[in-house]
Amino acid sequence: MANRKKRQGQNEYFFDYSLLFIVLFLLGFGLVMLYSTSSYEAAQKYGSSTYYLMKQLRATILGLAGMMIVANIPYHFWEKFYGFGYLISLVLLALIIPFGYESGGAKRWFRIAGLSIQPSEIAKLCMILFLAVMICKMGKSIRSWKGFAALMLLPMPIVLMVWKITSNLSSAIIILGIAALMVFVASPDYKKFVLLGAAGIAGVALIVFVIVNMANADGLNYRGERVLAWLNPEAYVSDTGYQTLQALYAIGSGGIWGKGLGLSMQKLGFIPEAQNDMIFSIICEELGLFGAVAIMLMFVMLIWRLMVIANNAPDLFGALLVVGVMGHMAIQVILNIAVVTNTIPNTGISLPFISYGGTAVLFQLAEIGLVLNVAKRIQLKEV
Amino acid sequence: MSKERESVKKANKSEIKTKRKFTIRMQKKLLVLFGLFLLVFIGLGARLFWIGREKGEQYSRQVLSQQRYDSVTLPFRRGDILDCNGTSLAVSEKVYNLVIDSNVMLSRETYLEPTLAALGSCFPQLDMAAIRTYITEHPSSRYYVPLKRLTYMEISAFKVMQNDTAKDDEGNPGPGNYIKGVWFEEEYQRTYPNGSLACDVLGFTTRDGTGMYGLEEYYNDTLNGTTGREYGYLNGDSTLERTTKPAVDGYTLVSTIDINVQSIVERYVMEYNEEYTNHYTEGPGARNIGVIMMEVHTGNVLAMASYPNFDLNSPYDLSAYYTQEEIDNMRETDIDSYYEALNAIWRNFCISDTYEPGSTFKPFTVAMGLETGKLSAYDTFLCEGSLTVVEGENPIRCHNRVGDGTVSLEKAIATSCNVALMRMAFRIGAQTFAEYQRNFNFGLRTNVDLAGEARTAELLHSAENMRLTELATGSFGQGFNVTMIQMITGFCSLINGGYYYEPHMVKQICTSNGAVVENIEPRVLRQTVSESTSDLIRQYCTAVCDPDYPGATGKKARPAGYVIGGKTGTAQTLPRGNGEYVVSFIGFAPADNPQIAIYVVLDRPNMKDQSTGTAEAAIMARNILTEVLPYEGIFMTEELSETEQRELEQKKLEDTRRYTQDIPSDDTENDSRENDPTVHMQAPWMDFAKDPATGYLIDPITNQLLDPETGYPVEDNYDPIQ
Repeated sequence: MANRKKRQGQNEYFFDYSLLFIVLFLLGFGLVMLYSTSSYEAAQKYGSSTYYLMKQLRATILGLAGMMIVANIPYHFWEKFYGFGYLISLVLLALIIPFGYESGGAKRWFRIAGLSIQPSEIAKLCMILFLAVMICKMGKSIRSWKGFAALMLLPMPIVLMVWKITSNLSSAIIILGIAALMVFVASPDYKKFVLLGAAGIAGVALIVFVIVNMANADGLNYRGERVLAWLNPEAYVSDTGYQTLQALYAIGSGGIWGKGLGLSMQKLGFIPEAQNDMIFSIICEELGLFGAVAIMLMFVMLIWRLMVIANNAPDLFGALLVVGVMGHMAIQVILNIAVVTNTIPNTGISLPFISYGGTAVLFQLAEIGLVLNVAKRIQLKEV
Repeated sequence: MSKERESVKKANKSEIKTKRKFTIRMQKKLLVLFGLFLLVFIGLGARLFWIGREKGEQYSRQVLSQQRYDSVTLPFRRGDILDCNGTSLAVSEKVYNLVIDSNVMLSRETYLEPTLAALGSCFPQLDMAAIRTYITEHPSSRYYVPLKRLTYMEISAFKVMQNDTAKDDEGNPGPGNYIKGVWFEEEYQRTYPNGSLACDVLGFTTRDGTGMYGLEEYYNDTLNGTTGREYGYLNGDSTLERTTKPAVDGYTLVSTIDINVQSIVERYVMEYNEEYTNHYTEGPGARNIGVIMMEVHTGNVLAMASYPNFDLNSPYDLSAYYTQEEIDNMRETDIDSYYEALNAIWRNFCISDTYEPGSTFKPFTVAMGLETGKLSAYDTFLCEGSLTVVEGENPIRCHNRVGDGTVSLEKAIATSCNVALMRMAFRIGAQTFAEYQRNFNFGLRTNVDLAGEARTAELLHSAENMRLTELATGSFGQGFNVTMIQMITGFCSLINGGYYYEPHMVKQICTSNGAVVENIEPRVLRQTVSESTSDLIRQYCTAVCDPDYPGATGKKARPAGYVIGGKTGTAQTLPRGNGEYVVSFIGFAPADNPQIAIYVVLDRPNMKDQSTGTAEAAIMARNILTEVLPYEGIFMTEELSETEQRELEQKKLEDTRRYTQDIPSDDTENDSRENDPTVHMQAPWMDFAKDPATGYLIDPITNQLLDPETGYPVEDNYDPIQ
């Protein structure tokens, strides 16, 4: 009977149009900015100014279709795949070693039928699903140190593989961050997290301190150099600090209202591959502080919508899924803007829905589809 | 039943999940998390605001300073020089300098090797090791030019490679993406398609586009255009604007020179020179040889040639006159003599050198007398072989020691009698003589439009300084100096009715598109003599070349079938009695209605008795006229004798042979030859004798070594003799 009741409730159809609108706006805006940013380089390199735009447009359309499909599959359907997803992530990451495709000095992609696929993007989605199920299964044992440690250790193989195999520290940090946020929301206390956060900050500070003090030593790898370039970008203009500094020039020269859409000077070869991680700096240059803040507000609204959906989700599993997606989006936006503004050392993190990258937009839209499905199950009567 | 069980099962299953609610506590934590995110966003927003406020101005300036809005110079194209029929004599071609920008090449590790590899494959003449060394030693260099003046053909292979940036089928970026830091600077190079032809008239151009000698120097400003400029600037909104001010190409000159006449003239100059090189003493056929041909009624110069000449495309090449050893020696020990040697081949004898004209001046003296009325057409003078001008001094001799007896004006000119001329000069008087010399423009520049015309004001006696001796010798063209261009221009005025035309070399100035900027019309400067005097002079000069006139000096100058007029000249040089002469012939054709004047000067011909060289000058004039007159549309008026006919036919045959010797003769081929493809391609050089040392074939005419496969001359450096 309860079942029937629920079905009746479900008949009052809920669809989160605000979320959809925000995502569509970000996608549309992203394509406009992508074209503005990449047209010069595309014309130079490929002889067609729409080269990047067309590739991104194809991925976006594919992603939107995928999103609509996922939005219509009850999210509990995915529940049983949590282990499989985890395994798939491990296997795909391991397969990078023999079959990976190298581009720009890093081996991160598979090339299948002309499409490049980044396993770390798949791993992010699988990790959200995996942790959501695990937290549901654990129940109250999450409160104990043991449960907490177990939850924090489970994602570690994937995190380490992403970091070491694909040498993609940023994705590793994002996966770890998603895990931490999900556990934080699921477990009732704060103490552990405050301690953990403090330890983390202390650890980072120590690493930075060590790197700064061994600055003269030759054994420094490129990450160490990036930390130094972060602290003093002007001193590393010729190599590591170049991109950061050029991005800062772009932000600084934009002023309040910007130079106007399409009028960026920095995109003319000064910021290499500006359509990727550094697209936010071009937004700042062309649309100014106003445009940048507007885009940040859109992301805040996106996160707010995700929070509302999570808080109204019919069950813990759905809520945790949404929390995972929310964490993913928030971390990525925050880290990207922080990198562009040189608030943290340079590490390659793209801006969701806006940066160029086919796999990223595909899986981000799939996550939104998942969230939309969770939102569908919200029982309006109780609202 | 089973349905019910299933639904129970489902209920149980869903119970597990629905039991786990997203608790209020979790919702609160999520809210906290959202709050944290919000704080971070506010922090980032503040950071953006801070960057804009604190560093905005500095970074804006940085962005602008990074833009390459420096100005670029666009080269103009120096105007061409064409002959009167539009054939190119001097042209400017676009060439490219290879510029290496080490800074860009080293900006990415992936650029250096592909770029160097591409350079090495496209420019085999590059020393890649040196370039690599340069790049590693000067990593910040932005402008290094290892190769200059490449043609478009030479750089096109590299350009294709550089522009191949599109991705291939597998998505790999094209090789052009990795070829960076190489660009081509455009420039114009002056080339002279005819090599040494009309070298002294044209002059050459230095690398920076400045004309040296001849038309190139005289019309330097006309030929040069205005350099263009491409520059960027920042407008009021601090956006970059680019403006291009295109280069204005220089004007094209249409010369009065006719390339056909010029080449005929030069051919005979070289023919004479070859014949008399090392004839009496070791050295060229004459110290200088000069020939000018002029249109009598316009002052247009049809041809102007002088020897020694040089290749306009390599004006610094002295190897035709000196051995490499001598050149090196000059450059090392005495740089002045090196430049003197260069100057000697560059200078235009026809306008820059002065000499005593000799008897070719006699028509001028006679014209003075006739024009002032001090002589009449019926006057006669006695010649006893010599004349004592001043008591106590040696008498001045006529070339006819015995004396010509009583001579008329016509005979005085025709036989070139010095004594008669001296007597005439005494009648004319120093005052009139000096005045008329200047009337004929001697002592003044003719203002011919060529650079380097000599000043002769100091080389003439003024009336006050002219004693009897000077007057006497002056009457037959000794004791004062003239230039060739003065002589022929003055002579034209003598025979064309007295109109002194300013001589000129350029008849039209056009824009690079061919629009006429200026037509240079013939300009009469003054009337030197009256029509009637001119008629008489023409009559007297015709007698000089009349084959039936007894004792006429210019018989050899007459081309078969024509009646021409002229005057020979055999001038002593200083010091007198050194046996060195400047021999010459000045003439015009046809005799009754002069169209073309010619002046040939052999400066100290390489002969035992140089005074006999006058005949050579006359013969050269005849040879030239024989070819030029029909070309200019002046037809024969006289009947040809049998010998003349034979000679002409012989000459025609020679001409035909000269133009056809490269074409293989159509041998009678038998069938077996036709079937054999290798024999079928039998080329004329294949029958030449083989050089035993190298295995190459020897051309019997030029003695060049030929490649047995292609028939092309083998490069000199393969020559084992050297």
